[in-house]
Amino acid sequence: MKVYFLKRFLELIPVFFAISFIIFMLINLMPGDPLTQMRMENPRSFMNDPERLKALREYYHLDDPLAIRYLTWLKSMLTGDFGYSSMYKQPVKDLIFSRLPNTLYLTVVSWLLGLVVAMPIGILSALKKYSVFDYTATVAAFIGISLPSFWFALMAIIVFSVQLKWLPVSGMSTYGLTGQWRVFWDSVRHLILPACVLGFVQVASWVRYIRTSMLEVLDQDYVRTAYAKGAPERKVILRHALKNAMIPIVTIIALDIPYFFGGALIIETIFSWPGMGRLMYQAVIGSDYNLAISCLMFLTIITLISNLVADLLYVLIDPRIRITRKA
Amino acid sequence: MGKSFRWYRKKVEKIEEAASPLNIVTYRKLVWIKFKTHRLALMGAVILILLVLFSFVGPLFTSVSYEDMDFGSIFSPPFTEGHFLGTDELGHDVLVRLMYGGRVSLFVGFVSALLTTIIGTAIGLFSGYYGSILDRLLMRFVDIMLSIPTLPILLTLTLVFGSGISGIILVLTVFGWMGVARLVRGLTLTIRESEYVVSAKAVGVRNLSVLFKHVLPNVLPVIIVSATLNVSYSILTESSLSYLGLGIQPPMPSWGNMLQKSMNYILGTAMGVTPWWLTFFPGMMIFFAVLNVNFLGDGLRDALDPKFTSHT
Repeated sequence: MKVYFLKRFLELIPVFFAISFIIFMLINLMPGDPLTQMRMENPRSFMNDPERLKALREYYHLDDPLAIRYLTWLKSMLTGDFGYSSMYKQPVKDLIFSRLPNTLYLTVVSWLLGLVVAMPIGILSALKKYSVFDYTATVAAFIGISLPSFWFALMAIIVFSVQLKWLPVSGMSTYGLTGQWRVFWDSVRHLILPACVLGFVQVASWVRYIRTSMLEVLDQDYVRTAYAKGAPERKVILRHALKNAMIPIVTIIALDIPYFFGGALIIETIFSWPGMGRLMYQAVIGSDYNLAISCLMFLTIITLISNLVADLLYVLIDPRIRITRKA
Repeated sequence: MGKSFRWYRKKVEKIEEAASPLNIVTYRKLVWIKFKTHRLALMGAVILILLVLFSFVGPLFTSVSYEDMDFGSIFSPPFTEGHFLGTDELGHDVLVRLMYGGRVSLFVGFVSALLTTIIGTAIGLFSGYYGSILDRLLMRFVDIMLSIPTLPILLTLTLVFGSGISGIILVLTVFGWMGVARLVRGLTLTIRESEYVVSAKAVGVRNLSVLFKHVLPNVLPVIIVSATLNVSYSILTESSLSYLGLGIQPPMPSWGNMLQKSMNYILGTAMGVTPWWLTFFPGMMIFFAVLNVNFLGDGLRDALDPKFTSHT
């Protein structure tokens, strides 16, 4: 087991380098460079003097060969130096670390929310195959998959915030509130809409997965045997069927974590949620190279880790794999 | 278990009858029978055709262009005279803009789905069929590409490739072929070992002929289904990018950028009302297009799968 974990972990390293290279190359294809950007912001800057510009370009190694620049960049990234954000006039590291918890907070809550809703629906759908409930759930899942999340978010804002005025439109908290409970309740109110929208989009596809996985298991011999032995239905479903159906479900749900970050990008932008997604969006819009590239790298690392976790969970919960690995 | 719908039972009976050994039908006919009995898929196909007609033929019936502004009636709600679905902040007719937006959204959706499918299929076929080091390298590359979060990288790429129609299609293609490639490769691996391929090779058929005459037709059903689902994915992604302001740029309308513009007005009230129609209709169009493509894909999946008769 330990060997397998270690092997999987070591495999990540070349993947990390490959991804960082791809991302670096792509960002380099972007039009303009940081100095052009600065000059555009300030047309009367001293940088318009060709002599000085040349000196600056040299200072920032902008004219070095691509491979050298990549290695320099990689070295500083690995030593924890992410550079300076030209837009926020702050070190990128500080920015990312101040936003990351907010994104994790939003994604974890909506992830759990999605799970709590999707599991019972999916399982019931499979148990009552072709029933009215199953049919309704299937159609609802199709609707959920087809719903553009940003539109759903906008309509939710129009209905719940603008018309009904139940929930705040955007942000994470109201400024200047006092009292522990007041502050807590306020943050919950701010969380409800974004978390529900982000979770709901995922529920739809999970319901389908859970249903299929459950159906497959219910068709297995060991479930039939359990029924034949006279085991009560509850026990068969929970002990025999669900436990086995969980194996593929866990993987898929863990593999979906990156989609949450993609989704979070849109949802955070719409709800002005101060997270990584919104930060990244603003970085791209404002051509803030350092910030954009660092955000992208961070999101990729999180994705890689979640893929690894999915893989390990799969091995952990499926005894069949564990045994074949040993053999 | 549970009570089933009567029409569903009828459908299963029909399929079973068609598939029974007593009743000889061709594969193609069986596919049609199965597709015909899938109500949602049939509805999806019809609505999609209507959507295409709406977007591509619709504008021919109106003299108003998507750029024409009616300053006399800005922010007029739906069902006002002359503007069936209302107007926006510049007096653009929403209905007309929906038609032109549909052209862009549907075109981008179909073309990028087609391109990703072709590229993905080619890579998957070669990777799975020839195997060895090529396969290992390609699949490793697929793994790597798949572990980059999609939307953030697409966002960055639109800055590189520009945000016109061709730029969006390029971006969606460059980061969209991996799923198909992996799917096709997996199937090719099993088909490669099948008896008909082995015997074709034993008779001396050249590799390329085997690939295109024996392997490809057997992967085709799966490719068609995944291509369909790719259309809905592309439409959704294009609209997300346009919504974020990085896709199709105004004045050319797309369903996504119409939504983006509407964002500026929904929080306040313009001319005394919240112009909900600016948000509602474009979103409905995206939703409708994607939903019906998904229904169609589901129907095709059931219809094209030779194993599917009653128990799925």
